[in-house]
Amino acid sequence: MNETQRVDEAAPSSSNNSPVNVNDNDNDNSENLDINNEVASRTASDTVTSATGPAILELADVSYSYKKGGKKVLHNLSHAFKPGVVYAITGPSGAGKTTLLSLISGLTSPTEGKVIYQGKDLGKQDRYDFRSHDIGVIFQSFNLLPALTVIENIVLSMDASGKKFEKPKKEIALELLEEVHLPDEYANERILHLSGGEQQRVAIARALSYDPKIIVADEPTGNLDLGTQRDIMDIFAKLAHDHNKCVIIVTHSPEVAQESDEVFQLAPLRRRKPTKTVRPVATRRR
Amino acid sequence: MFVFKNAWKSVVRNKGRNILIAIIVAIIAAAATIGLSIRQAADSARATGLENTSVTAQISVNREKLIAAAQSSSSSSTKPDFSAARTALTSKSLSLADYEKYAKASTVKTGTYYTETSSVSKTDSFQPVSTTDTTSSSSSSSSSSQGTTGESKGGMGGGGFEAEATQAGDFKLVGFSSDTAVKNAANGTFTMTSGKVFGYTSTSNNDVIISKSLADFNKVAVGDTISVTNPYDTSKTISLKIVGIYKNSTDTTTTNNGPQQSNSSDPSNAIYTSISTLKALGLDTSSEVTTTDSSGASTKSAAAQLSYTYVLGSKSAYTTFTKDVKKAGLSSDYTVSSSDVEEYESSLLPLNNLAKFALTLLLVVLAVGGVVLIVLSLFNVRERKYEVGVLTAMGVKKAKVATQFAIELLIVTMIGLGVGAVAGAVSSVPVSNQLLASQVSQQESQTSSQQSQFGRDANVGASGSTTTGNSSSTSGSGTGTTGKTTAAPTQGAGNPFSTRAVNYVSSINTTVSISMVGQLLLIGLGLTLISALVGVIFVMRYEPLQILADRS
Repeated sequence: MNETQRVDEAAPSSSNNSPVNVNDNDNDNSENLDINNEVASRTASDTVTSATGPAILELADVSYSYKKGGKKVLHNLSHAFKPGVVYAITGPSGAGKTTLLSLISGLTSPTEGKVIYQGKDLGKQDRYDFRSHDIGVIFQSFNLLPALTVIENIVLSMDASGKKFEKPKKEIALELLEEVHLPDEYANERILHLSGGEQQRVAIARALSYDPKIIVADEPTGNLDLGTQRDIMDIFAKLAHDHNKCVIIVTHSPEVAQESDEVFQLAPLRRRKPTKTVRPVATRRR
Repeated sequence: MFVFKNAWKSVVRNKGRNILIAIIVAIIAAAATIGLSIRQAADSARATGLENTSVTAQISVNREKLIAAAQSSSSSSTKPDFSAARTALTSKSLSLADYEKYAKASTVKTGTYYTETSSVSKTDSFQPVSTTDTTSSSSSSSSSSQGTTGESKGGMGGGGFEAEATQAGDFKLVGFSSDTAVKNAANGTFTMTSGKVFGYTSTSNNDVIISKSLADFNKVAVGDTISVTNPYDTSKTISLKIVGIYKNSTDTTTTNNGPQQSNSSDPSNAIYTSISTLKALGLDTSSEVTTTDSSGASTKSAAAQLSYTYVLGSKSAYTTFTKDVKKAGLSSDYTVSSSDVEEYESSLLPLNNLAKFALTLLLVVLAVGGVVLIVLSLFNVRERKYEVGVLTAMGVKKAKVATQFAIELLIVTMIGLGVGAVAGAVSSVPVSNQLLASQVSQQESQTSSQQSQFGRDANVGASGSTTTGNSSSTSGSGTGTTGKTTAAPTQGAGNPFSTRAVNYVSSINTTVSISMVGQLLLIGLGLTLISALVGVIFVMRYEPLQILADRS
């Protein structure tokens, strides 16, 4: 299947899109990836200028089945994610939210189609490097190492990224804890001694520690009380709008979807082709 | 760097489990160290034990082979062909020149000494020490019967087979080539009770030393002159001057109470002199005498039997010498043997047994230790499945995670190995000596049970035929008056019931050498790698996607 053709096919499905040139990276597979995204152009006129930029992550006609030739969990999905926007991926159970998350976070590769990161096919890149450098994933179960302290967990991620940091890693970690509203005295506490909400904050801090361009969160507000939930969502919004991150939240909570800039609705599986509802961005905060 | 840092942190974090692994590794390492040090001690004892001590070697004819060849060539008759066998043996005897040729052929420094044993007969004024007044003819018949005994035994013990003689003297006249030869006298070491040992040049010809018993028996003293006769021609009287009287350190007079023993086989009746004297008297190996056997046929043979010994600097020199003489043309009918080497090797028997045991121990410990390590590693990695998931999901490559796990194990095993090696090195000397002591006592009890089984016959043997090893080797050199000895009998060796107890190596001085540490490290690395492999396989099979399923 021709790449350009696929993009063309995908483009009309996303209605009201303005042309966006992804071809800013001088690489071989970035030919003519013009995507019309009106939403993005509209946000451009808003306070956050960065939203006008090219899509950082793009799903190009992505299908996925767990077994080769087996039942498809995702059908020909296409969508572009841009920096500076909080996206909410919603949908009923079994619509493939988690699968989509694993595709976005580079835990697996699509059976058909491509996941394009900064104009490059993720399938041709080292997905381990992508995970350690470019994307911060906040798992539903946080996936922190319980034997380690808060600081150790964060520093471990920084170490794993192999990036160089201007400041000592511990200092950065402490700043991040402040950012996620976790008091300093938690820094040397073991993860086991933290509550769910606190662990959530550590997970966010960890995902941010190596300064990835994309933050992906899986049900970040799952079991949290409303106050905490709101606080967490505030953090995400701040990340997107102040730090120009691309924040993608997988959720089934309508409140969370409401608070995000853009909602990517996954249809139940029966539908041959998932429809994408782009909510007009009245919910944008600030 | 990340991997090392992480591995180290992880090791520190899981102290309990890692200490357990370290202890197991330490036990394995200690056992391995002890095993290796025992093996090393055995090896070095084998290699260097005789490195700085001189080794004596002798060339002897392979009698079994020759006799078998001679007998098979005349297989038509059922009766053993004695004369063919004798001819074969006689033709194979080496002359003094032959021995010297081989000494020269050797590339290693070779010292030599030799003795020639002839005999002289009694005169009225000088009689041998004996219980009965036997005549020359009776002693000669006894010697021929001994010869038969020797033959039926296939030349065992190096004794008496050369006793083709029909005549045997009453005294054994032994000529020595040098002080070394005297020191290694066939009758054992002796001390001078009075006078001094003769010189070896012709100026001290006819100087002899005699045993104290013989001197006392004949009431002679240093300075006296004794007269004996040539056994081949009794009309010739020989005058010998006594320059010294010696006493054998081992008293063997009791072995000669049997009526069939010839007087000359009694160590007391040995007269020691120089080769030069023997030459002057015409009783050395180069002088031929004609003897007439009982059937009337006369044979020519040398007047003395030669015992030639090579002295070599070390065991390796002995090995080289063996090769050199083969190269110099020594046929396979002869064997080079060394009683020193044989004796030393038999003294190493317990140590060698222990080394075998140590190898078994080593293998068992390694096998069990390896299995335990693998199981621990397996449980460890299963327990840390979640950690693998988190790390790989975070983008740490599987290879790195696997390496981290392997390094963790390596750190722990190396600590255990170090502790174990030190513990093993400290305890290896007492432990191995303890083990060696039990081996030695086991060996000794085996030997003593052999002795109680066979050694009991010694009394019977003394009165009858030459059963015991010692007396056979003594009589061998004593009775062969006229027959030229085909080879020097190896004294004491080849006799399993030798009265001379073998001094087993009963203590070893083990040291932990660099090569051993290297071996130990290799063992440790091997074990670690094998058990780490389990972890690696596990990590490699883990798909990071699974972390989404592990939501508990």
